[in-house]
Amino acid sequence: MNVSEMAPVQLADVFVEMADTLVDDFDVIDFLHVLAERCVQLLGVSAAGLLLTDQQGALQVVAASSERTRLLELFQLQTDQGPCVDCFRTGQPVSVTDLPSAGRWPRFTAAAADVGFAAVHALPMRLRKEVIGALNLFDTNPGALDADKIRIGQAVADVATIGLLQQRAIHRRDLVTEQLQTALNSRVLIEQAKGVLAERLHVDVAEAFTILRGGARSHNRRLSDLAQAIVDGTEQFLPPTASRPR
Amino acid sequence: MQLWGRVVAHADGGQVAIEHVVEVMISAAGVDAAAVAVVLDASPRETIYASDQVASHVEELTLTLGEGPSVDAFADGPELVADLMDADCLTRWPVFAPAATRAGVRAVFALPLRIGAIRLGVLDLYRDQPGGLDQEQLSDVLVLADTVGALLLDEAERDRLRPDGLWPEHAGAQHPVVHQATGMVIVQLGVTAAVALIRLRAHAYVHDRRLRDVAADVVARRLRFDPEDSPRLL
Repeated sequence: MNVSEMAPVQLADVFVEMADTLVDDFDVIDFLHVLAERCVQLLGVSAAGLLLTDQQGALQVVAASSERTRLLELFQLQTDQGPCVDCFRTGQPVSVTDLPSAGRWPRFTAAAADVGFAAVHALPMRLRKEVIGALNLFDTNPGALDADKIRIGQAVADVATIGLLQQRAIHRRDLVTEQLQTALNSRVLIEQAKGVLAERLHVDVAEAFTILRGGARSHNRRLSDLAQAIVDGTEQFLPPTASRPR
Repeated sequence: MQLWGRVVAHADGGQVAIEHVVEVMISAAGVDAAAVAVVLDASPRETIYASDQVASHVEELTLTLGEGPSVDAFADGPELVADLMDADCLTRWPVFAPAATRAGVRAVFALPLRIGAIRLGVLDLYRDQPGGLDQEQLSDVLVLADTVGALLLDEAERDRLRPDGLWPEHAGAQHPVVHQATGMVIVQLGVTAAVALIRLRAHAYVHDRRLRDVAADVVARRLRFDPEDSPRLL
């Protein structure tokens, strides 16, 4: 089945879902996670992640379709080398259909091979002339993404940018920096909360994220608010299945 | 690194302290003054460093009025205010904006010193002329603010940490595993996030290891911090 037969309905659903999410005071980190997950479904890739500039020239992962530790590390490797870095610097999509034979970014290629990825694509997150990050797609099978999928991927990257920056009307670059810094700090906060839950519930950090996100959704709370409460200790947060006396 | 070289030069052979970092920041950002306010738990903010009378006065205004970019930065994230006389600013900070302007400040750049859930305080930069920061100034300011955060954390362990000449490990933009380990140590030791991170940093320093390697051991459950004694390998 090719994209033109399969994707339009799904794509429309995703954009409706996104539009529904983009209301006042929405949960930006959760929104970016949903986008990463939908990317995987829409484009038929194996994994997706969103990386944002920390404005010191480095990229930081802010959301991913899976919180597997090795996947996160692969995104994180791209603080200094890799397709996302190139995409971010040039503002142009980067597509590598077969990583080993491309012979670029030796450390990144080795790490990607460890996780089982053969192809990688990076699409810029652009705000007017500025590039604020990249959407990173991985596939276990070598090969190109067809033009339709690239277009859809770029549309998702654009939606992510809009979502990230829409909390205030962005008319100055200063505001972009403020928003990016805040989003990146939320991500740090979530990592800390993952650690608290992993230790308290005796689970690994990837599972801790699933529990955290499930908790935020079922209690209708923002991921970052719940994470803050967990790290501060104002919220014990023991899910029913894992409840036990401390 | 060039920035760090300038910081060390300011320290003039002594131990690098917050004021040396802030002095470099003032020149890198092209501002006139700066201040660092620490906000601990429920206690009111305390200015631990002000570069001059103006900075000290505006910090006092922030504390007294309970409003301004610095207050919002602590709560929400960076506030880069190119001109306090903008209508927006006068609406947001109706008392602070005119008062700070009268004190001779037109632009304020307030950066929270935070690492995820850990909120240490705010670093405020002040300039008497309106105008923003360019990209290079901004990136210098962010990296140096991160250094100020690291120094604040390391102060708790000052005797053991940071002999001269070393750039403290970054406080903020870090490998995710460092933040995950912080969360785990919070539970292992029953301490706050700030103390957990301080303990991790101290352990890394004492054992001459990279923070991220120590953190990876904690997350992989090869290393555990025990409230009764020092961390032990499993």
